[in-house]
Amino acid sequence: MGGPPYDCMSNPLGAVRLTFEKAIGLGSGSETVTHPSAFEGKDWGALELFRHFLFQESGLSKVPILNPKTLRWVQHNSLVRYRGMIQDMLGNEFYVGAYRDIKDGSSWRTNKFTDVSQYPMESPSVTCIWERRLLYCVPVPGQSSWAEPSCDMDPNWSPQSREKRRRMDGEDSDPMDLVPEDEVKSSPITKKMREDGLPSTSPEPMDLKTASSSPGMSTVQFVDKDNLPCLVKIYDSPESDLKLNDVFEFIGVLTFDSELAVEKDDNELSNSFYDDALVHMPPNKVPRLHCIVHRKLAVHDFLPGSPIMEPKPHLVKEIREALFRHLTAVLGNDGVAAHFMLLHLLSKVHTRVDDVAIGKLSLNLIGLSKESVSVFGTRLTQTFKSLLPCTKCLPLTLEYLNTASLAPKKDYQTNRLIPGVLQLPEGSHLMVDETQLESGSLNSIGIENTKILKNLTEFQKVEYDFQFYKVEMAADIQLLIFSDGKSNIVPADVIVPFQPSALESSEIPVAEALEAWRWYLATVRSLPHSIGSEMQKVVEDDLVAARQADRSLGSQDFSRWLTMGRLISSSLGETCLSLEHWQMVKELERLRKERLK
Amino acid sequence: MKDLDFNADKGTLLSPPLPLLSFFISILHYPSPDSWLPPNVLTALAKEFLSNFADANGEAKYTSILYKDLDEEFLRRVTENTRRYIEIFAGAIDELLPEPTEAFHDDDHDILMTQRGEDPTNSTDGSDSRQKMPPEIKRYFEVYIRAPSKGRPFTIREVKASYIGQLVRIAGIVTRCSDVKPLMQVAVYTCEECGCEIYQDVTARVFMPLYQCPSKRCSINKTKGNLILQLRASKFLKFQEAKIQELAEHVPKGHIPRSMTVHFRGEITRKVAPGDVVELSGIFLPIPYTGFRAMRAGLVADTYLEAMSVTHFKKTYEEYELRGDEEEQIARLAEDGDIYNKLARSLAPEIYGHEDVKKALLLLLVGAPHRKLKDGMKIRGDLHICLMGDPGVAKSQLLKHIINVAPRAVYTTGRGSSGVGLTAAVQKDPVTNEMVLEGGALVLADMGICAIDEFDKMDESDRTAIHEVMEQQTVSIAKAGITTSLNARTAILAAANPAWGRYDLRRTPAENINLPPALLSRFDLLWLILDRADMDSDLEMARHVVYVHQNKESPALGFTPLEPSVLRAYISAARRLSPYIPKELEEYIATAYSSIRQEEAKSNAPHSYTTVRTLLSILRISAALARLRFSETVAQSDVDEALRLMQMSKFSLYSDERQKSGLDAISDIYSILRDEAARANKMDVRYAHALNWISRKGYSEAQLKECLEEYAALNVWQIHPHTFDIRFIDA
Repeated sequence: MGGPPYDCMSNPLGAVRLTFEKAIGLGSGSETVTHPSAFEGKDWGALELFRHFLFQESGLSKVPILNPKTLRWVQHNSLVRYRGMIQDMLGNEFYVGAYRDIKDGSSWRTNKFTDVSQYPMESPSVTCIWERRLLYCVPVPGQSSWAEPSCDMDPNWSPQSREKRRRMDGEDSDPMDLVPEDEVKSSPITKKMREDGLPSTSPEPMDLKTASSSPGMSTVQFVDKDNLPCLVKIYDSPESDLKLNDVFEFIGVLTFDSELAVEKDDNELSNSFYDDALVHMPPNKVPRLHCIVHRKLAVHDFLPGSPIMEPKPHLVKEIREALFRHLTAVLGNDGVAAHFMLLHLLSKVHTRVDDVAIGKLSLNLIGLSKESVSVFGTRLTQTFKSLLPCTKCLPLTLEYLNTASLAPKKDYQTNRLIPGVLQLPEGSHLMVDETQLESGSLNSIGIENTKILKNLTEFQKVEYDFQFYKVEMAADIQLLIFSDGKSNIVPADVIVPFQPSALESSEIPVAEALEAWRWYLATVRSLPHSIGSEMQKVVEDDLVAARQADRSLGSQDFSRWLTMGRLISSSLGETCLSLEHWQMVKELERLRKERLK
Repeated sequence: MKDLDFNADKGTLLSPPLPLLSFFISILHYPSPDSWLPPNVLTALAKEFLSNFADANGEAKYTSILYKDLDEEFLRRVTENTRRYIEIFAGAIDELLPEPTEAFHDDDHDILMTQRGEDPTNSTDGSDSRQKMPPEIKRYFEVYIRAPSKGRPFTIREVKASYIGQLVRIAGIVTRCSDVKPLMQVAVYTCEECGCEIYQDVTARVFMPLYQCPSKRCSINKTKGNLILQLRASKFLKFQEAKIQELAEHVPKGHIPRSMTVHFRGEITRKVAPGDVVELSGIFLPIPYTGFRAMRAGLVADTYLEAMSVTHFKKTYEEYELRGDEEEQIARLAEDGDIYNKLARSLAPEIYGHEDVKKALLLLLVGAPHRKLKDGMKIRGDLHICLMGDPGVAKSQLLKHIINVAPRAVYTTGRGSSGVGLTAAVQKDPVTNEMVLEGGALVLADMGICAIDEFDKMDESDRTAIHEVMEQQTVSIAKAGITTSLNARTAILAAANPAWGRYDLRRTPAENINLPPALLSRFDLLWLILDRADMDSDLEMARHVVYVHQNKESPALGFTPLEPSVLRAYISAARRLSPYIPKELEEYIATAYSSIRQEEAKSNAPHSYTTVRTLLSILRISAALARLRFSETVAQSDVDEALRLMQMSKFSLYSDERQKSGLDAISDIYSILRDEAARANKMDVRYAHALNWISRKGYSEAQLKECLEEYAALNVWQIHPHTFDIRFIDA
């Protein structure tokens, strides 16, 4: 295997093989060959090589991104990138990690990072069994188009036009048709549901939206752009690194081979107890990615070509001013609402103390009717789309509540986690439109759903239903609620009566401004924060005084004020609560209270 | 592969002083339908054999070897190569077992057996392996090797590739279960030409049937004898598949529970049902893909667990098994005098204050023993507690915490999230269309705790059912032609909001509570948790919130709370006791009870209804307190504490009125002491007694001292300078 120096891009397996042979001492001339079982499936130096290639030699940008468009030309067994959210974890897979070649009897081969052995392997050969973890990943739900990674590999790749066309097709036919041509339709409907995790639920909100009386809540935006799920196989990383709902970029070897497809054998012995991934997710539909390197993506990783700027106060203040003006315009010159909106967009769960999620700030704009939502809702949706990486919208209607599956649920027939609408990655923004809700009765699903929504707003937790028990998953979702009166289904932290004074639409911001705002929202969010001891005294006294004056205030209100204080100071690019900020909090609360009267 | 000397091991197994059963054959079982000995008798026989068996020198070898001389190396080999050893064990038993002295009758299998024995062709033509009768076909026993029960079982996540082929012990919940199906173990064919019986061992789930007779006679004669599969002569095993999944508590945060396939064979089928929490020991094995699939999938191997034993987790206190170090820990805790306070504080440590409420909840967890009278009447031992209070005073959190500590508990809301509700419902099974009875929360919480939030918002029908549950501890159903009574021996912990959402101080407690007296009297303790306006608690709250925001963690507690597992262990140990009330205390309790009754009769607007139930409550609480001390007898201090708790629970309701009545603490204490002294017709009162009396009324020692000093200055009584005993000065 001397040959030409490996090419990490097009022949990653060659590189793996080379390092493997080097590691066991083959080809180096020495007689002693290390037994590969010594590795126990762990890395033998291949990772180092790829890391070097990707990050030192800046090979990362050359690696094509896997999506339905690139899937058509990307080579089998080549290096690709895939961005997605971990939607399900399918457990372990055992594979023959290394085996002795039968021909010459002495050389070892490895099967790491591949599904199919490159050399013939006959059963009674000496083998080592290793394991890898299977993760089922889907494209980030509700990802905005700007946040998609650009790929300059394919010259005739024009994202907008293609995507639109695709969407059109996709809408009235099976969403799965987007992906390749050779569909092996072996399916009663149930089976199809298994095959494509997302589509089973996604058509639902779509239909509802079109059926609902608000044409403004653009139908197009929240349709899944492309359903390319991917089965990622993880080799060398501790389990705690990858958590459910995390968004990752995986770089690894692609296996997407229609020949590997398995027709479902009608043999009654192929018992459903072996929920073979091959049956439910045929490899000609769901590509496999043998992950070599992965990295977690936070909000600021979505910024295209993220300019690493130091959050300097004066710069931050400028951007804040501009963004605030923009938000005010979008909100029909309602300054108070814009203030709260800005804080809301910056909120994030910083930590959890005894069930209390510190740092969340959900916002409920009240006084909105169906008509006004159609105007402002649309505008806000567009604004968020252009500012935030992941947004989603929930139109709460009676029918929706009674039918939708908000929380993910485990299906033991297929051994899969059926995704729910609320399975969203950290830092997503969720708009709940309650104005369309009419009075009526809820069924048991509806009650369950309202409970889930309430839990989410109060504790930022979603209970995943595992039938025999429920597992609480921590969430970090910014919630914005539109309603006429105060929403009781989704009890938000801040209730602001919305009082627009102008209806004219705002000017469309220029691209640079948008970029700056995105950067601002992503960066300022994660600024550290502290409260000085002097400030602490002031705050404590204020809180006690407030409570003495108004008995209805509770620890939740205190917590909200402190969160607002933090958000105000971070929004100005500062890391310490000052008296000025605290006064702003109190002033904002006063203005809000006045409106509530 | 490692070369293990299996034959040597077989040799050791066969030579008499063998450590064969250091591992032990768990079942020696005759599965034939009309076997003349029930399995337990057989097991007993086997044990007797082992203990009495004497080797050539006439010494009882087994027992000494069995318990003394555990061969670690042998054990390791068996755990790592279990499947192989099962065969070895089975072979050894085959050779050890004597021929049956009595013939089986009326069993077609054995008729076949006799014929096989008589048929000479079998033995003459034995050169071909396929014609030799495999030993499996003659076996009437099954060998299971159970993993050592030492240590913690694995979670599914922890079973890695390196455990393939090994014996492991796994805890999990059964999620799916197949029907029991026959699985062919030995296929038997007869040849059309030569009449030979041909045997084929089936080791996998799929096998390729033989079509051509391989016997010598056929091959010599060059006749291609047709083989016919003889279902009757073949040997089948019961076979069942199940899926187990990780338990919720074993799943790391942010991960999804893993699952695993389990195969049950033979007598351990039909032991599990979906939803069961089980501990399995078994062999972790790969299934290589066969045939067509193998060529394509090539590399991947499915795995399964060949089950060897099934243990159901029992989640009641009675069956709670203490782990090695826990016993020690409990003993250490029991030594500690302050255990009552310490345990109480460790309940929901993040909730500030509410010490007495937590004490009450601790007693609820401990409970009192159930009593069954000779005439069949049952007196419940479970304590019922109701927490009432303003919204946002952490009632629900307390409830949830108790649920976490209790080994068996159900949390529900009064409105009942499911259609089944609190009691039980009759539902139509969607598959069979039969009417089935589905237990509600109260039934599910049998032998445990049922926490009912929003008790006040409960359905009227459920509320009536609760009357029965709380006193008789059963649920009666008469629906859809099903009349039955289900056990609901549960302690009820209810949380309710006052009638108007918040406690209205201008109204009477009865108006605020808004629950019928018949229901209220069933609660042993009723606590009112009010959100009172006072500067200190406000400051405390403000400080807490600011601290949390500043430091991103809760402020330090000032003590280390006990782990819930330790609490559970301690409580389960305490629950084993069943304390009785000594003769000399009977009088004491009777007076205490009658004085409460009298007090109530005196006041014109009684707040509470002291009934016989109250007396039972006192006894229950006292017994629970005695259990906490690990004492078999109830002491006077227990009764005093019980009375104090009841008094405190009343104060939580009526403290405002007490203040209105104008009686301050000091003068109240004085009147208590005076009344008690007058009742006893004595001039001297011991300090310890005084302290008992006043603490029953909810006063502290500091208040007593203050009272003593104040009244001594007025020359009402004299105080002994050292013992603080009181002597009234007669006026």
